[in-house]
Amino acid sequence: MAMDSGADGQSHKAHRSRHSGASAKKKTKARNKDQNSDQKQQNPKAFAFRSNAKAKRLQSRALPPFVVVVQGPPQVDVSLNFSSCLYVFILFRKAVELRLPCLMWDSLNLLGKQRRLQFVECPNDINGMIDAAKFADLALLLIDGSYGFEMETFEFLNILQVHGFPKVMGVLTHLDNFEDVKKLKKTKQRLRHRFWTEIYDGAKLFYLSGLIHGKYPKREVHNLARFISVMKFPPLLWRTSHPYILVDRFEDVTPPERVQMNSKCDRNVTLYGYLRGCNLKKGTKVHIAGVGDFSLAGVTGLSDPCPLPSAAKKKGLRGKEKLFYAPMSGFGDLLYDKDAVYININDHFVQYSKVDEMGGTTNKGNKRDVGEALVKSLQTIKNPIDEKLEKSKISLFSQNPNSSLEAEDHNRGSDEAPKLIRDIEPLKQYQSNGEEDESEFDLDGSESSDQDEGVSEGAMLKNEGRNFEEGNADASERLGRVKEQVEFHNGRKRRKAIFGDGVDHSNLKSTDEENEGDEDDDDDDDNNEGEDDRSNEDNESCSGSEFSEGDEEDLKSEDGMGNISKWRASLVERASKKQNINLMQLVYGKSTSTLNTSANEVKDDSENEESDEDEFFKPKGQRAKNSIEGLDGGNINTEDCSKSTKFSELKNWKEEEVYESVRDRFVTGDWSKGALRNQMSEAKTEEDDMDGDFEDLETGEKYESHQKDDSSNGGIQKEDDDAIEERRLKKLALRAKFDAQYPFIKEETDKQNGGKFHRSQANDSGYYDKLKEETELQKQINIAELEDLDETTRLEIEGFRTGMYLRLEVQDVPFEMIEYFDPCHPILVGGIGLGEENIGYMQTRLKRHRWHKKVLKTRDPIIVSIGWRRYQTTPVYAIEDQNGRHRMLKYTPEHMHCLAMFWGPLAPPKTGVLAVQNLSNNQAAFRIIATAYVLEFNHAARIVKKIKLVGYPCKIFKKTALIKDMFTSDLEVARGIRGQVKKAAKEEIGNQPKKKGGQAREGIARCTFEDRILMSDIVFLRAWTQVEVPQFYNPLTTSLQPRQKTWQGMKTVAELRREHNLPIPVNKDSLYKLIERKPRNFNPLVIPKALQADLPFESKPKNIPHQKRPLLEDRRAVVMEPHERKVHALVQHLQLIRNDKMKKRKLKEEQKRKEVEAQRAKDEQVLRKRRREERQERYREQDKLKKKIRRHVEA
Amino acid sequence: MGKITYKRLKGSQNMRQRLLLATLKSTPVLIEDIHAGDTLPGLRPHEISLLRLFEKLTDDCLIEINETGTKLKYKPGIIVGGSHLVHDCGFSRAIGYFLEPLILLGLFARKTLVIILKGITNDSKDPSVDTFRSTTFPLLRHFGVPSEGLKLEIKSRGVSPHGGGEVHLTIPTVQHLTATMWTDEGMVKRIRGEAFTTRVSIQLGNEMIYAARGIFNRLLPDVYIASDYRKRLEAGNSPGYGISLVAETTSGCCISADTTVSYPRGDEEEDIEDEGKKELIPAADVGEKLASVLLEEIEKGGVVDSTHQGLLFLLCALCPKDVSKVRVGKLSPYGIETLREIRDFLDVQFVIKPDPSTGTVILKCWGSGMKNLSRKTT
Repeated sequence: MAMDSGADGQSHKAHRSRHSGASAKKKTKARNKDQNSDQKQQNPKAFAFRSNAKAKRLQSRALPPFVVVVQGPPQVDVSLNFSSCLYVFILFRKAVELRLPCLMWDSLNLLGKQRRLQFVECPNDINGMIDAAKFADLALLLIDGSYGFEMETFEFLNILQVHGFPKVMGVLTHLDNFEDVKKLKKTKQRLRHRFWTEIYDGAKLFYLSGLIHGKYPKREVHNLARFISVMKFPPLLWRTSHPYILVDRFEDVTPPERVQMNSKCDRNVTLYGYLRGCNLKKGTKVHIAGVGDFSLAGVTGLSDPCPLPSAAKKKGLRGKEKLFYAPMSGFGDLLYDKDAVYININDHFVQYSKVDEMGGTTNKGNKRDVGEALVKSLQTIKNPIDEKLEKSKISLFSQNPNSSLEAEDHNRGSDEAPKLIRDIEPLKQYQSNGEEDESEFDLDGSESSDQDEGVSEGAMLKNEGRNFEEGNADASERLGRVKEQVEFHNGRKRRKAIFGDGVDHSNLKSTDEENEGDEDDDDDDDNNEGEDDRSNEDNESCSGSEFSEGDEEDLKSEDGMGNISKWRASLVERASKKQNINLMQLVYGKSTSTLNTSANEVKDDSENEESDEDEFFKPKGQRAKNSIEGLDGGNINTEDCSKSTKFSELKNWKEEEVYESVRDRFVTGDWSKGALRNQMSEAKTEEDDMDGDFEDLETGEKYESHQKDDSSNGGIQKEDDDAIEERRLKKLALRAKFDAQYPFIKEETDKQNGGKFHRSQANDSGYYDKLKEETELQKQINIAELEDLDETTRLEIEGFRTGMYLRLEVQDVPFEMIEYFDPCHPILVGGIGLGEENIGYMQTRLKRHRWHKKVLKTRDPIIVSIGWRRYQTTPVYAIEDQNGRHRMLKYTPEHMHCLAMFWGPLAPPKTGVLAVQNLSNNQAAFRIIATAYVLEFNHAARIVKKIKLVGYPCKIFKKTALIKDMFTSDLEVARGIRGQVKKAAKEEIGNQPKKKGGQAREGIARCTFEDRILMSDIVFLRAWTQVEVPQFYNPLTTSLQPRQKTWQGMKTVAELRREHNLPIPVNKDSLYKLIERKPRNFNPLVIPKALQADLPFESKPKNIPHQKRPLLEDRRAVVMEPHERKVHALVQHLQLIRNDKMKKRKLKEEQKRKEVEAQRAKDEQVLRKRRREERQERYREQDKLKKKIRRHVEA
Repeated sequence: MGKITYKRLKGSQNMRQRLLLATLKSTPVLIEDIHAGDTLPGLRPHEISLLRLFEKLTDDCLIEINETGTKLKYKPGIIVGGSHLVHDCGFSRAIGYFLEPLILLGLFARKTLVIILKGITNDSKDPSVDTFRSTTFPLLRHFGVPSEGLKLEIKSRGVSPHGGGEVHLTIPTVQHLTATMWTDEGMVKRIRGEAFTTRVSIQLGNEMIYAARGIFNRLLPDVYIASDYRKRLEAGNSPGYGISLVAETTSGCCISADTTVSYPRGDEEEDIEDEGKKELIPAADVGEKLASVLLEEIEKGGVVDSTHQGLLFLLCALCPKDVSKVRVGKLSPYGIETLREIRDFLDVQFVIKPDPSTGTVILKCWGSGMKNLSRKTT
């Protein structure tokens, strides 16, 4: 812009700087400050990077690529979308030309401008989905818009939720199938709302209209890519506390002989991938999903195969920077390993011939000559790479002064030498791997320095080293002719290219140049500063282990006795350095190293006596050493005592000079000195990193003054550093605030339900930001603290950092993993945290999934996914009663949470658990049966169930009775009783029994009751009995079988019954049947005779004998007179007539009443009609009137 | 299921740390050759008592000791903690011996630990209970332990040989510790202390205080030493006296020293008898010497005294996966042993860097990522 305007020639008003006011003041202040600092800045190096390595390390720290999992039901073309994404992301024409709908490799690292992405296609079985959910940073859920949601989507969502819920974005596809726009809109809305209920209101759902020429429209995919590129990823608890690696390359490194001997032998494999989560230490155990737990045989850091471009600001990526790395996907020809580069050649290109036309086929035009040599060497290569490695190890030693080794050997004795080598080895290994080429350079560098110095060592030594090295090379070459290493992997043929020394440099051209530059620098340094600098330089380039270095120095000091002044000059510095190392070795070192260091100490001592500089490093190290030697002295039964004060060796603190020495440690003393004391260390440690400016200090006096200067410097420096740090933190906070205020995406879809959604998201992001900021802060502190360590120590201390590209070696993996390896199924390697390899009972809070149709049965095997693991186990469900008792449940409740206790590898509390029962793909229903989270874990399960025992008395004493049929054996009685005493006391109230004593015969218990019981009583015993949770778990080894096959573990009882056609056993007593209750017959009341006699006469039962014959009155017959008979007949007739009359009258009345009613109804109807009309009329009148009035009023 | 693989160790050294770390990391350990060459082979009474204590606090732990007591199998359980616990520490070591591992166990327990410990409260070998209260608890605060829950009440004091002391200890649980950058040792701003006597004249206590003050007075005016003279039941079963001193610095570090004078235990008497019955050190000398010890501790520098180094390192190593940085004076043998045990059990190494200008050592470590796994979630 400015340029443009300038070109136009338009003149603008010049900027006038303010001379007064707030801003002017600010500026002057700043200027003053600057000047001040400049004046005080006696050490110009303070603001520069102190060491090369440090700067590099800071730069190289990068985040691992984010993992984008693309998931969709089988019909939704995942791969297509996948390739389209790829297309936009890297604009890598070639990749598109490759026609990638069949791009089936699981992962692909892509490089954006500021972030890298790794695309992984989620396999379509439940195991793959579970694993994918564990490493996804972003899940793209592909949904067929024309079809609607499918179960897989919801299943995957559910899995994601359980395992920490990373970011989710829905992508609707197949939207071109809709002809009707309205219908499309409706469908979109419907799907969107359904999606929102599942995740949260406002969750992003993306629309892809449809395929055009087999690809999605560029614009849409580009938008999708933009969304992904600005997405924020929340930290997930599980993943921030566990290291994990998504393997993007996988090799079998078993010696071929072993495989030939036995094709089913256990294999050694190497796994490659970025380290994510948290730092990985070397000793960590890992879990390979679907395979099992393994300890890492070796971890090495490789250089990033897909590094971020330089930080320079520009739009987009230039062609060279558009990188992608997809080692298993089948495109791209080169593979980098720690010690080799693999070149993939299509089978039809491969022609085995010694003809020198090979250059053409290697298709790398720019290095034809190299390629030629390479291929030739390839064809003639013989020895395995590890052999080669060993050789190179020896050559490393040859570059170190040989005699030092020898000298040390003399000291140590022969048996300790291997240990030394072992000590050095890891470091060496690391370097040769971590910075592939750099190690090469280092060697060269040191070699050259060796050559250059030539002061004390002499040419002889060098030559010796040279010769040795050459000899090695010869040997390796000779060996190399023996056989060729061709590997077959998944039907692909590939060959290892092992570089000789000469090839190496020319091949890796780009890095080589840098190296050379550095080399030159180093050489210059060497020339300028001579021998003293050597130690520094060595330190910086990290070649060789510290203590071999120490040896070297010692040796040199012995050698170089002639020029003492030089030696003495660097003594102080060296001593401090050495001591630092020694102290660590003193504490941690093996017996060899302690021996070694003690030798050093002794030497130091003698030297000190000579040079009178003992106030400085004698006390601590030596005393520590002494004490340690005492401890190392073989007494393994020393007393465990934290106090170690000895009253005998006290100074006399009453003396003036003695107590003056601690004067400054008290507030009454000199505060400035006290403050210095605290800060000096920082300044000091930083000073250590610098190229030492210590040459000029010769005597103790001078040294002290220098020290003082230094410390004051240090103080200021420290302040400055503080200020910088503070500013940085402030910036960080500001940025976080800004981010929180402006959430990254505001799209038109949110407008409808804006308020709620916006608030929620703002809150969310605020929380995440805070979390992120905190972790970032801590991370910064960590980095700052560990920065000044050299690489090896740092690795020991904190392990490999996240974002590093690692090569893991795992040994003794079942051969099935290789045999059934399927590139469509990503391999997840997760680190196992503290205490997670133990096995025990876990208590989880579980809820059956509402879409699963059945309740779950106790002890039916289920497959759970916890942490990295998947395994089958048999849970026992329970619920917590009011009094804290865990009561067993036979089935899970329908809509409630319950406890599930099961046996398996432990996971820390709060870990999510997912349960499935059926792994097969062709199951229509929802496969997730329950979700849960871990509450706590135990070594013992405490679940009880109710038990009700029934018994009958066989002999009754006063208040006790012997009860039979309740227990079957004495043992049972004994067990029952012990647990029962308390419970019985509660049941005193009812007719429930109370039980105490021992037994009479087998299974007969003697019980005590409140009252005497009857023989006819039934005795119940209600109790709680412990339920055993089966100690069973079966890890899911889905990677060890063909992927198409469904993993088969333990079957449920129901499945077994179905298979064997067995009926469900029925316990007759448990069936419900109709209860029949017969009326009870009571015996007649019998009154005792004595009582009867006392009763008054009325109450006495009267003994009236029963009369057999009826009474006389009942028995006699009636005979009427003729007159009487007539009268009787007449009366009867009259009655008959009357009855008849009455009947007729009733009928008539009935008829009449009906007529009247009909008439009345008719009238009523007429009346109603009339009334209605009247009402209508009236209302009409009223209305009219009202209108009239209104009109009047208006008028 | 499956066979338990034990971590094999030898000898009785660092029994406390080994058991503690084994429990925290739930690694089964097998210790052999425990005092195997001694005339009285096998575990010492205090070691057995310690095992008992571990058994009490954990759930489902398994301890097997062979007949001679030279071999110990320990399969740790889950740390449960809980209240209403009583433990008799015996008379062979002081309560301080048990308190050191107990504090860490309590922090990583399932429930808040409330325990009554009986035995010797003050001893010359182990840090006294006063020191725990005045120094160790403030130390824990630096690692994110809430100071409200920490409590130690001295119900009665007891010294060797017959003990009779009783303390009530409460330790809260934490989810995890927090890493600390603790290198500023500050300057001593005040000195506090406590002198106690049991079953002896209170005059002895006053003498100790007077003598100790005499040393400090030239350096610092803010010296206050409280007196705690116990009588009757509260005084335990044996006569003795002692003093503990704490120097607090401007940056909140506490540096302590303590000692106790009493008649030695039965088994130790034999050694002494050939020298003739030894008189106890006079109280004035005790005060003076202890003041000197404290000054030496201060002179060494560091944020803790030499006694607390082991605990400090353990706390650092048990932090989450972050860097902790601490400064100590010269490394004590106990601290070094602790560092080694930490390396063996937790796979945590410290960067140890001497700071020659002050004669201190700066240690950095990357925490092991320990979390309280046994604590129940709601």
